[in-house]
Amino acid sequence: MNRSVLFIGIVIAAALVVILFVGLGKDPAAIRSPLIGRPAPAFALREVGTGRTIDIAQFRGKPLVINFWATWCGPCWEEHPILVQNARLLQPNVQFLGVVFQDTEEKIQGFLQQRGTAYPTVVDDRGKTAIAYGVGGVPETFFLDANGKIVAKYSGPMDAGIIQENLQKVMQQ
Amino acid sequence: MILLVLLLTLKVPDAQQFVGSPKGTPLAGAQLDTRTREVASLLRCPVCQGSAVADSPAEMAVNMKAQVHELLARGYTEEQILQYFELSYGQFVLLKPKFEGVNALVWMLPLLALLIGGAIVAFKIRSLAAQPQPTPPGPPPPDADPYVARVRDLVSGEKQKP
Repeated sequence: MNRSVLFIGIVIAAALVVILFVGLGKDPAAIRSPLIGRPAPAFALREVGTGRTIDIAQFRGKPLVINFWATWCGPCWEEHPILVQNARLLQPNVQFLGVVFQDTEEKIQGFLQQRGTAYPTVVDDRGKTAIAYGVGGVPETFFLDANGKIVAKYSGPMDAGIIQENLQKVMQQ
Repeated sequence: MILLVLLLTLKVPDAQQFVGSPKGTPLAGAQLDTRTREVASLLRCPVCQGSAVADSPAEMAVNMKAQVHELLARGYTEEQILQYFELSYGQFVLLKPKFEGVNALVWMLPLLALLIGGAIVAFKIRSLAAQPQPTPPGPPPPDADPYVARVRDLVSGEKQKP
């Protein structure tokens, strides 16, 4: 009986070690979205500054990086210059698009004028687009292939390495 | 006029892209408010610590609740609405996990642990019952050792002396 109790104990402890090992090895920012591998939800929203409508369908034919952000989000400030730099570097082969939610157009315009931009930014008025994309917190970024399919999602501020890594996934499609 | 044209060109992702056309009856009035609260209480607020969309004052939760309200008013069923949010956020957004895949373990493990524990207790009780009972002590055996026999004789002889 003592041997069987020891065996059961070892099995339970081994299972816990495996679960902890697998869990700790995961990147908490790399969220598995159910949208990955599916066509991106279609939207056409108003561009900040110009007021014109931008439809994501117009970017078909090249990879698209959709970045959800807001001016009240600290990590978004940190990420913004990296996104602008990469957008300048990669255009016209890759398109970047900013989607701002839970914010005011006045604040967004002020932010973009002060810090510069290299790609269009649209306003998601009642957060419907963010909800359809399963956005929890900002910044969150989606990488779409040339056919408009979501290939990857990243949660949190990105650096150039993360952008490149995810764009490589898009190119491999 | 220009503003109206502009508004008409705007398009937000719609539940129809995810779950098709409404399968229920459009709700209105008090019934709509009650059902909104009921369905929103089944959804987790993604920016809160384990709160339901119905209970959270966070702007994200308020927007989600407004969307539930709108979908119920358009005739979407509870099942379709939950499926719509699940397709965007994953099962994380459902406060009551589904009985499938790894989630099934959450439901099954406590039951399994109870069954295994019960089986161990039953096995232990049975093995204790099967053990031979200790026999009551009988008459003392005759002393084999001559030394012990001599001591016994001497002691009994002492007792017999007045």
